Amino acid sequence: MGTARVVFDRWEGRYAERLSDVRSSAVRDLFAAASRPDMISFSGGMPYVDGVPAHVVADAAHDAIVEQGSCALQYGSSEGRPELRAFVTELMAEIGVRLPADDIIVTAGAQQALDLLAKVFINPGDVVIAEGPTYVGALQAFSAYQPDIRCIPMDDQGMRTDLLERELQRLGRRGAKFIYTIPNFQNPGGVTLSAERRRRLLELARAYDIPVIEDDPYGRLRFEGGHIKPLRALDDEVIYLGTFSKIFAPGLRLGWVTAPRPILSKVLLVKQAADLCGSAFAQVVAERYFAGSRWRRTLQGLTRTYGERRDAMLAALEEHFPPEAHWTRPEGGFFVWVELPEFLDTDAMLAEAVEHGVTFVPGTGFFPDGRGRNSMRLAFCYAEPERIDEGIRRLAEVLEDRLELYRAFIAAGAIPSRAEGAA
Amino acid sequence: MSKEKVAVLMGGRSLEREVSLASGRRVTDALQERGYKVIALDVTADLVQTLRAEKPDCCYIALHGKYGEDGTIQELLEFLGITYTGPGVVASALAWDKSVAKYLFVQEGVGTPPWITLTADAFKEMGAATALDLVPGELGGFPVAVKPSKQGSALGLAKVESAQELPEALLTALSYGEAAIIERWIDGCELAVSVLDAEGGPQVLPPVEIEAKSGLFDFNAMYTAGETDYFVPARLDEAHAAIVEDLASRVHVLLGCRDVSRVDMVMAEDGTAYVLECNTSPGMTETSLLPMAAEAAGLTFQDVVERLVRAALSRRS
Repeated sequence: MGTARVVFDRWEGRYAERLSDVRSSAVRDLFAAASRPDMISFSGGMPYVDGVPAHVVADAAHDAIVEQGSCALQYGSSEGRPELRAFVTELMAEIGVRLPADDIIVTAGAQQALDLLAKVFINPGDVVIAEGPTYVGALQAFSAYQPDIRCIPMDDQGMRTDLLERELQRLGRRGAKFIYTIPNFQNPGGVTLSAERRRRLLELARAYDIPVIEDDPYGRLRFEGGHIKPLRALDDEVIYLGTFSKIFAPGLRLGWVTAPRPILSKVLLVKQAADLCGSAFAQVVAERYFAGSRWRRTLQGLTRTYGERRDAMLAALEEHFPPEAHWTRPEGGFFVWVELPEFLDTDAMLAEAVEHGVTFVPGTGFFPDGRGRNSMRLAFCYAEPERIDEGIRRLAEVLEDRLELYRAFIAAGAIPSRAEGAA
Repeated sequence: MSKEKVAVLMGGRSLEREVSLASGRRVTDALQERGYKVIALDVTADLVQTLRAEKPDCCYIALHGKYGEDGTIQELLEFLGITYTGPGVVASALAWDKSVAKYLFVQEGVGTPPWITLTADAFKEMGAATALDLVPGELGGFPVAVKPSKQGSALGLAKVESAQELPEALLTALSYGEAAIIERWIDGCELAVSVLDAEGGPQVLPPVEIEAKSGLFDFNAMYTAGETDYFVPARLDEAHAAIVEDLASRVHVLLGCRDVSRVDMVMAEDGTAYVLECNTSPGMTETSLLPMAAEAAGLTFQDVVERLVRAALSRRS
């Protein structure tokens, strides 16, 4: 009997090189479903769509077909419908950015814009700069084009511009293809880039001649503190990504990108190749949903809900979490970032958390290079306040158990005791 | 005439839930193709109620890991008077605890790498971390393997190359269970040897040789296509193949397994075989080792599944 080598994926070896860096963690996939009914999930950054009045959306969808069916069901322009782009200019004006509707392309969520921009800018091996930790979806979108992603650490003021400067000094002028930042209530860090740092980041970007991509999905979900002007309002060369996912609903898959004209024309080219044009139906529904001012009251309600949940999570963390843990205090958005002492492995801890009926996202997924093992992202947007308290209590039990062991190792001198860094 | 009614138990709360669902789906399809009435059950709090209402002729246990492989579900089904596939309560419990199984191997003269078992309580309550300097002396230096004593799918497994890495690996292993095993690392050829009971006694299937590209056959290597190369039968000469097959059969018997088991071992470069563990509910997914071995022996997936079900049915009183 001869030895046969068993091959499972018979197409292996024929896939493009660019897929080699795109992978998901098997263990993380295991828990992604969080399918148990009693599971409290702090994993997904899922908007509270139940807070959007269903009948209003139903009316908008009905009218889109009945009154505008010939447009809504037809191919549209690649840039997006003029009506929706005009509405986007109003939204942008409210945050201090004045621009013509022609400077906007409607995309399938901001996620598509990330993919298109990566396609436009990245050659294999090119350096791109992001915050560390940063948005998983951006890492995924970029990775397919095989960049070398450099992560700049953050503190409670957002990206450390001093460290950014050091990195840029190493890389030199035009040494990176772009700097990607989520300045407001960063995903996953929860922190906001201060006004001063925004100015500094732009100075550096100018000095080193590197484009900046500003991803702003959560900017309108502020619970406290004053609005800080977006980077795009300070510098009209900034590439800005917006989304309707958080101010309306992610199910429509609508976002937008604005950029200097030459860049925008490249984005348009690759968008045509990707999908010809976005969903006209979704755009008409959005136009109707955003007609009038009712959506503002709805958004206020949503923001209040998220704010209450943030409060519940911070209170629960304060009450239940051990002193060795540090976390951020977001002024808006969806996420709290927790850092634990070194040597604790949140990938492994997730196993135990799931047994306790609670999930979170381990930190490593938010870095391109295996960092973040001792951190986790907690999404407060989805669970109700009482469930949040219960979930944090469950998670604290797991943590306490880990820490007891950890303290024993420290007491024995088996691992070094260190002053823990701030979150 | 329709054949018997089989409840396929899968999913549950184990960390290997997704793997179990994948096994269960394939088993369900196979039994349906063979004409059985099949009910696929995700194990939840309603399980007992459902089983009492459905009254299956037997259960196929496609559960992996805690509750499915440690004797819990077996004992429950014994109590309910429903026969099931695979080893019984005692064999499951013995095999599930790798440390206990290794003591039995030593007692019965089955080669297994030297090891130390340390529980979380030994660290928390008794200062075991102060004794980690003794580990290299005890096990003959580094590298060592660190793993949870009770866990499947190699979750929490690490290869530790130096004393500095040991505490961290222990902390990781202990997040999967109450006890961790530190075991001498044996370089060599990794083998999975499946055993199926036949009329004349245990039938050993062709050994499967595992070569993880990363050098460590962990969870990732196990379930990610392309991360691991498998060779069936293993690239062993006849004499070594005979040693390995005899060892698998002995382990199957000494733990009191019935119907099926999969014995994982390493054949060192000097030709000595070391048994690492025995699995009483081997994976039945697209990339699992038992189906691979069965195919090499000329048995289809359906053949194996039906054989296990017939054995369970034959135990009905």
